Amino acid sequence: MEFLGHLALGFATALSPMNLLLAFIGCLVGTLIGVLPGVGPIATIAMLMPLTLKVDPTGALIMLAGIYYGAQYGGSTTAILLNIPGEVTAVVTAIDGHEMAKKGQAGTALGIAALGSFLAGTVATLVIAAIGAPLTKLALLFGPAEYFGLMVFGLGLAIVLARGSVLKAVIMVVLGLLLATVGTDLETGQDRLTLGIAELSDGVDFAVLAMGVFGIAEILRNLEHPESRDVAVSKIGRLLPSLGDLRRSLGPIVRGTGIGSVLGILPGNGAVLGPFASYALEKKLAKDPSRFGKGAIEGVAGPESANNAGAQTSFIPLLTLGIPPNAVMALMVGAMTIHGLIPGPQVMLKHPTLFWGMIASMWIGNLFLLIINLPLIGLWVRLLKVPYRLMFTTILLFCAIGIYSINNNPYDVYFTAFFGLAGYVFIKLGLEPAPMLLGFVLGRLMEEKLRQALALSEGSFMTFVERPVAAGLLVFAAAVMVIAVLPAVSRSRAKAFQE
Amino acid sequence: MGGLAVIAVAAAAFWLVRDLPGGNGGGMGPGTLPKGLALLLGLLGLALAIGSWLEKGLPLERWSVRGPLLILGALVVFGLAVRPLGLLVAGPLAIVVGAFASSEVRWGETLVFGALMTAFCIGLFKFALGLPIPLAPWLLGY
Repeated sequence: MEFLGHLALGFATALSPMNLLLAFIGCLVGTLIGVLPGVGPIATIAMLMPLTLKVDPTGALIMLAGIYYGAQYGGSTTAILLNIPGEVTAVVTAIDGHEMAKKGQAGTALGIAALGSFLAGTVATLVIAAIGAPLTKLALLFGPAEYFGLMVFGLGLAIVLARGSVLKAVIMVVLGLLLATVGTDLETGQDRLTLGIAELSDGVDFAVLAMGVFGIAEILRNLEHPESRDVAVSKIGRLLPSLGDLRRSLGPIVRGTGIGSVLGILPGNGAVLGPFASYALEKKLAKDPSRFGKGAIEGVAGPESANNAGAQTSFIPLLTLGIPPNAVMALMVGAMTIHGLIPGPQVMLKHPTLFWGMIASMWIGNLFLLIINLPLIGLWVRLLKVPYRLMFTTILLFCAIGIYSINNNPYDVYFTAFFGLAGYVFIKLGLEPAPMLLGFVLGRLMEEKLRQALALSEGSFMTFVERPVAAGLLVFAAAVMVIAVLPAVSRSRAKAFQE
Repeated sequence: MGGLAVIAVAAAAFWLVRDLPGGNGGGMGPGTLPKGLALLLGLLGLALAIGSWLEKGLPLERWSVRGPLLILGALVVFGLAVRPLGLLVAGPLAIVVGAFASSEVRWGETLVFGALMTAFCIGLFKFALGLPIPLAPWLLGY
């Protein structure tokens, strides 16, 4: 069994004392920051990335993955206790989770969320380990033309799955692609769109863009809407769910895990759709659907499992194909590049300990979340009572130090301020920044592959038609886009996102 | 409104890359992709502008000035101060400037909190993590 050998190698790496410690710290600080209202996983990872600068690449990625899970779980905690979902995926959890908290069952809701997430994480880890190797072998057969087709297909799906208007999502993707062309041209070395600023000739730094558009812009938005936080939930109640609760949750957890694992692999909002789909399914299957929205434990267990499963399987396209399916994974690309790793099929072949170690650490990270979070919930609750005026200045300082430290360059801090302003304008204009980030990350890779493909074919665009896989992917991309704008589909799409 | 902004960005980008060789037939030049994307973006912006003009969309939200100005100002101040003056000065400065973005700002609390947070960050980033961020070059020499 090749598969078991890989897992054994992975666990041997992930269980080294140093990596265990890093995974633990990652989960802990990830939860710590993720629990702050209005700080989603993207901002959390961007803010904490400097913590990993001095660690070896394997440890750094293990820690970042831990930060990601921690941030996800922290988002669920605020959703349940405060009815403030830290991120989109926790929106569904807030519906029934907060109702449970109002009834004095906050502990049970948090407990089942942690348990469901753990079970989902276990399954998702196995899924990644099982399909990682075959997919990587497939990816190695891809030439530049196929890669280009695959990325166009990915962006097409991302646009369709984005929230809000399709036109706006397309605009943001194109804006991201345009931003990616900033900097020195790959072949001729000419400066493009740099406005004569020398610091821009390496292009826009991804962490700078992400931190500005997500971290800083979020602060600006939160300052405008001083949210009324009712930490009135004084009683957490028992953490361990009763046997009856467990029995009712088992089905939703299993189904949520399945849905989340599959949707998580899809680009764009795939991982985000999981919880919504799971909630809708559980409501449909329930004997008494009217309990939903009034504190049904199934409405917490299913979506939370789907959320966590999706969060993990979204690593698959990144690790095997080198294509980040969403903004969080795009940040992971940034982190890998800082450590001199180029994401793609080569990672598994050249750095097997890193690859399998990271996968094994996913399971360990989930275990840590279970261990850390249940006893520390009291601490998180107290943290939530810190007034926002102290919170945002802290976040601001962390962002400033973090961004400066990535390249030790003050210009990066100015660029972050600029993108923060841009992000604020996007929020005001109702433009979703996530598709832009994805376009930005894929942009540079796409241009490279496009020009490679054209160089191989001596400039003939026919290469995209003659190579069946590339042509097929491009046709699929066009098809999903066309389908998305068909009136009938766009109506049901609007409905799906409303729920 | 959004559409017009998008068109403006596209036009600016197109103007900036006007001098780059586009390349034709035999291959792509450095200017091909930015030009194509800028053109595409302009067209999409036009579609958005026309769309929102035809059907009255949601009214624009109120734009505030204080928050953005001071938060971004805090970042710029930090960037300006960190190299010559070090974290010891840049940290509290950023916190004080940033704190005024909120109307609930309190002088005493901000000063104490700024000092504490800076001390914490120095301990964490400089000593625990060993990042090469200047502390106070004018005082300590590093």
